[in-house]
Amino acid sequence: MLEDKSNIKAWLYLAPALILLTIFIFYPIINALFLVILSDYNYLQGTWQGFTLTDNFVYVFRNQNFIQALTNTMLITFVSVPVSVTLSLFVSVWLNSVAKSKGFFQTIFFLPYVTNAIAIGMAFAFLFNRNFGLINTILGWVGLNPVNWVGLGATWGNAMFSLLVYVVWGSLAFKIMVFLSGLQNIDKQYYDAARVDSTKKGRIFRRITVPLLSPMIFYITITSFIGAFKAYTEVIGMFGERLGPPGNDKALITVVALVYDALDRSGVPGALSEAAATAIVLFAITLIFTLINTRISKNRVHYAGGAK
Amino acid sequence: MAAQVQNLYGNEKQLRRQFILRQTYVFTMLIIFSIIVIIPFYWMILTAFKTEAQVFTSPPILWLTELNFSNFGAAMNAAPFLRYMGNTVVVSFFSTIGTVITTIFAAFAFARLNFTGRDAIFMLLISTMMIPGEIFVITNFLTVVEFGWIKDQTYTTALLAMTIPFMTSIFYIFFLRQSFRQIPNELYYAAKVDGTSDFKYLRRVMIPIAMPTIITITILNAMGTWNAYIWPRLVTQRQEFGLVSNGLRNAFNDLAGVVAYNEQMAAALLVTFPLLVVFLLLKKYIIRGVSRSGIKG
Amino acid sequence: MEIKIQNLTKVFTNKKMTETVAVDHLDVTIPSGKLIGLLGPSGCGKSTTLYMISGLLKPTDGKIFFGDEDVTNVPPEDRGIGLVFQNYALYPHMTVQQNILFPLENLKVPRPEAMERAQKIADLVGIGELMNRKPVQLSGGQQQRVAIARALVKEPRVLLLDEPLSNLDARLRLQTREEIRRIQRETGITTIFVTHDQEEAMSISDEIILMDFGVMKQKGAPQEVYDNPTNLFSARFLGTPPINIFNGEISAGKIKLGKSNLGTTDVKSQNVVIGIRPEGFKVDPKGPLKVEVEFVETIGRDTTLLIIDPTDPTKRFRGIIDADYKVVAGDTIQLSVKPHKMFIFDPETGEKL
Repeated sequence: MLEDKSNIKAWLYLAPALILLTIFIFYPIINALFLVILSDYNYLQGTWQGFTLTDNFVYVFRNQNFIQALTNTMLITFVSVPVSVTLSLFVSVWLNSVAKSKGFFQTIFFLPYVTNAIAIGMAFAFLFNRNFGLINTILGWVGLNPVNWVGLGATWGNAMFSLLVYVVWGSLAFKIMVFLSGLQNIDKQYYDAARVDSTKKGRIFRRITVPLLSPMIFYITITSFIGAFKAYTEVIGMFGERLGPPGNDKALITVVALVYDALDRSGVPGALSEAAATAIVLFAITLIFTLINTRISKNRVHYAGGAK
Repeated sequence: MAAQVQNLYGNEKQLRRQFILRQTYVFTMLIIFSIIVIIPFYWMILTAFKTEAQVFTSPPILWLTELNFSNFGAAMNAAPFLRYMGNTVVVSFFSTIGTVITTIFAAFAFARLNFTGRDAIFMLLISTMMIPGEIFVITNFLTVVEFGWIKDQTYTTALLAMTIPFMTSIFYIFFLRQSFRQIPNELYYAAKVDGTSDFKYLRRVMIPIAMPTIITITILNAMGTWNAYIWPRLVTQRQEFGLVSNGLRNAFNDLAGVVAYNEQMAAALLVTFPLLVVFLLLKKYIIRGVSRSGIKG
Repeated sequence: MEIKIQNLTKVFTNKKMTETVAVDHLDVTIPSGKLIGLLGPSGCGKSTTLYMISGLLKPTDGKIFFGDEDVTNVPPEDRGIGLVFQNYALYPHMTVQQNILFPLENLKVPRPEAMERAQKIADLVGIGELMNRKPVQLSGGQQQRVAIARALVKEPRVLLLDEPLSNLDARLRLQTREEIRRIQRETGITTIFVTHDQEEAMSISDEIILMDFGVMKQKGAPQEVYDNPTNLFSARFLGTPPINIFNGEISAGKIKLGKSNLGTTDVKSQNVVIGIRPEGFKVDPKGPLKVEVEFVETIGRDTTLLIIDPTDPTKRFRGIIDADYKVVAGDTIQLSVKPHKMFIFDPETGEKL
């Protein structure tokens, strides 16, 4: 009968997923916590030299690329997330208010979501090519000199700017679609009421649209932060495994890249523990910023009514 | 007061003009934005059809009067892209089937069945969603080594290594559970009164009703495989076992010298094209699914 | 199929381990082949009782018999019941026909026979033409009929209806309740039908069972319960406009409301609650109640008076009198009370004295 617990049956239904999750999610979490306390863990021989709480983290911080990786990761996150959230908010409001061709624009704006990150990264790299790329051509039209964005000897700043353009471009589609569906859920009567009160468009946007959409903006911001902290494939797409413009290798290295870097050295004693420590540092950063985000938006998110 | 009333109801001509002005503005902004979105695609396609001489012309040629198809053949010669695509389709197929099955069963248990510890286990799953995948990757790599899927790798073990770890997804379980929970309880009671087994109810009632979500999961998962780069790079021991992203990157991972951009873009287009076709065919499901996947609760 | 319910009890325990008694030692026998209305305010345990009869909920205590068979521990599918839900619970992705066939699939009825039975039952409830529609293409009333057809197609021993009319608009509700009455008569299936709407229950039930706080308050033919409420709850729950309640007393065999003497009784002297149906008043120049009329509303043959309570001028009560009497607001009139429309209750227990 209804309230009866169907324990055995439930576990049977859960078993396939739970077995896989145990092997590939739960055990790895525990194992990462274990790896990170091993000193000089030699994976090939299965030996280690005692336990340590801090050593592996010290290796992470002492890694010659760590500061660069952390700087890049932070920069990517704190530029791309606010820019893409704001841009996609505007675009989705425009999209929602356009009377015709909504479906057409929606399809176009969605395209970046359905591409291969490597393929489109290569296209971006060529767009930013110094002599033969479109960006410098356009700059030329307005009388600016060509810039060496991604070519041999390109500066960190130029390369980072190109990367950011790509990252923002690639992250808009998802946000636009989510915001649009949120906007479509807002009851039209709020807007009618605002119009009856002769509210100006800009005010409607600030005082009605944004507050009513705020739970979604908050959710998207949090998930975008989490996603942006893991930036890596975008760098590979544009710059290859070199992680930077030719002659400036690893200029755009990120924290995730450090994890795989360490993992590639898995035979070297201590490398796996360093990988685990790096991943844990990444998690800690993510967690801190998620908590800060939650704290900040607590007073600004309106959960009642509006966007359902 | 009188002016306001007139503004709202009275002067229809003025209202109409305001409306047209506003629509023109919005339309212009959307078109500008569309161009920005399209440019990388256009650039990719354009370059893929250029000759080498056209590629290295400065300022670049922005419109082709004659299409050059030879780059695609050259790209195919540079690396076995058909093979990579085949690998990707196979990996995508198995991991998606596995994911959909495990997800349906688990979501059903969480949404419909009553068992000890249900909420606790569910919370446990949800709480792992914030943990970056890199934490799992380290151990998962060791695990597939342990399973013997890396050493003396065959095509089969390479496929196992690329599919098995991805045959379930907490996010999809969460997503499908939401869909399942929207089905009114009374449907289940009615089915119980008629002697319907849980499995039959799942098969005949819940799955058909939640089909849009299941299709979305299928598409998102398959697209995810098409984009996968890091894990296949990590676990494939031979280049020919790799997926499209790996093939593409490896073929044009020049260290110095000149890149044959026309061939590179032809290869990129080859890899992107199937995705675009699938998107245009299943647009409705993809857009709706992705929009909904971003809505919490 | 006679249904016997013995000592039926249902206690819900929530997460904080607080217990709620939804049904409290219910004893009742439901006669075979009748349409029974299970009536009460929301939260009175009527739906819980229905779900226990269906087998979807397990009783905490007590027994349920279908005829002589103890079905208390029989799972719902083996009880031979048809259940219709308030929201109909039609499978949205199946056509009307597939919905009706679904229960027969589980019974492994051969396809041709199943089709025939589905068509027959669809014709009976009047949706024979709609077999290929999906539920969303049907009106509320049609969906309701499909739900009834689906419940009836397996020829259940008992038909259970949970608030079957509450999702319909007023007109459809009237129509559909006639329809349910007709279908029940034609099939002769013992039918229990849960509702909070007393008018609905009274209009179609052979018998009503009145429940409050998990306890049966009264059972009987609707008119009989209306005419002879055994307690204050029954008296108040049935009738529109509702019965008028006054605080009065019995003094030396006289029923007294304030100073007025409304009649005689053999109840011993004490404070009592007096209930008088609105139609229990008569304009009578010699009547004991001298009252002031505040408001008059004449609809058709009846006139409803809103009258100032002579014992408490802040209160009002209603009287329905023949439209022949010309009364206007502000009039002071004399009323007498029809003895069979007046009931006396114990103020503590609410039982009729």
